Amino acid sequence: MALQELTYTFEAANPQPFPVEWMHSGVVGSGDMEVMFTKEDLGGKVNFKIVTPVTGFDEVWSRVLQKFVNESGISDVNVEINDNNATPVVVSMRLRQALQDAKKEA
Amino acid sequence: MADWKELEAKSFYEATARERAIGMVDEGTWTELAGPKDRLTSPHLPVLGEAVEFDDGVVTGVGLVGKHPVFVASQEGKFIGGAVGEVHGAKIVGAFLLANQVYDKIMAECPDEIEERRPAVVISFETGGVRLHESNAGLLAHAEFMDQIQGSKGKFPVFAVIGSKVGAFGGMGFVAAATDVIIMNTYGRLGLTGPEVIEQEMGKAEFDSADKALVYRTTGARHKYIMRDANYLVEDTIGAFHDCIGEVMDLGYAAIEKMRRIGNEELVDEQLALAELSVELHPKDSRDVWAYYGNENPEQLTEITTAEFLATAKRRP
Repeated sequence: MALQELTYTFEAANPQPFPVEWMHSGVVGSGDMEVMFTKEDLGGKVNFKIVTPVTGFDEVWSRVLQKFVNESGISDVNVEINDNNATPVVVSMRLRQALQDAKKEA
Repeated sequence: MADWKELEAKSFYEATARERAIGMVDEGTWTELAGPKDRLTSPHLPVLGEAVEFDDGVVTGVGLVGKHPVFVASQEGKFIGGAVGEVHGAKIVGAFLLANQVYDKIMAECPDEIEERRPAVVISFETGGVRLHESNAGLLAHAEFMDQIQGSKGKFPVFAVIGSKVGAFGGMGFVAAATDVIIMNTYGRLGLTGPEVIEQEMGKAEFDSADKALVYRTTGARHKYIMRDANYLVEDTIGAFHDCIGEVMDLGYAAIEKMRRIGNEELVDEQLALAELSVELHPKDSRDVWAYYGNENPEQLTEITTAEFLATAKRRP
């Protein structure tokens, strides 16, 4: 019943620095999520923390996030996600949008 | 996020709470306070298994409109319908507290400049009122809003801007009515009990919430504008709301105080006269009231553009 918290750590094959100090994007609507990127020296790693009402999708989260890290090459950044039943497609789209916004801001 | 100039042209109805907040103040003047980076999430939602948001569904901050420091609280309807919880409420009250501090500072340091520098609070309503998951805290927050609005009298104006998907209903309908100035776009809706709840309690014959045209002409901005429940009706762009706030601030505080709907004996008499009229007239539809105030083709009033409506609609005297 209570909200669950998932954490993951990934490392990209070709790490790129995150373009800004921090970036927030999205609204926690139904089937949607928000994401907060905060830059920190993590030895090239990316830490994810997901807060979600949905249970049983740990493996799906892991794959979606791993794919995002590999494709974008982000590194040294904490990623916090507040999720409200977003589908995997929405999650990866929102992450890419947020990264694009961060690049635009930089 | 779109840049400021794009935001000015963007539909207010379709904008997020953050876009509305930034676009309602002058370019480059916005500072968000208690924003997502502060991670002020609800302490009540996690135990109920409900999703949380870093800003708890309201964007608060300050910007300038001309020389006026404007404290904005902008509710996000996509997060639990913009409902007011403990943190959400505290952030809105915080906007009032800061406006009070700024007012006191101006009065202490440059009292002769108060008219041109007078602060304001702008609440962009998109809410059904209390967040039922944290109902006591939400109700208490409503009481605090009313207290803050009362405390602002004689100091600075409070604006209600309404034009988002959810509208302004429930307890926040009361709060909106208690502000000094109400600005709406044509999609804005304002009321106490929402259409679905009326239908649920009183039956479809009383109010058919599936009849969107009926819902809009009863709770919508055009009706509110004719009845003078709304002071201004503007085009559906964030820039139109921004401009309207600036124009109203330029009118000066004495003029703004006359825009209220409640707060003195004459206004009570006016409201009582309206109650009497409703008994006499026994309107079956808001169109009957529009016709009573001299609108010859009331059916046409919902079919025309906002500009045409503003040019032709006759309002309650």
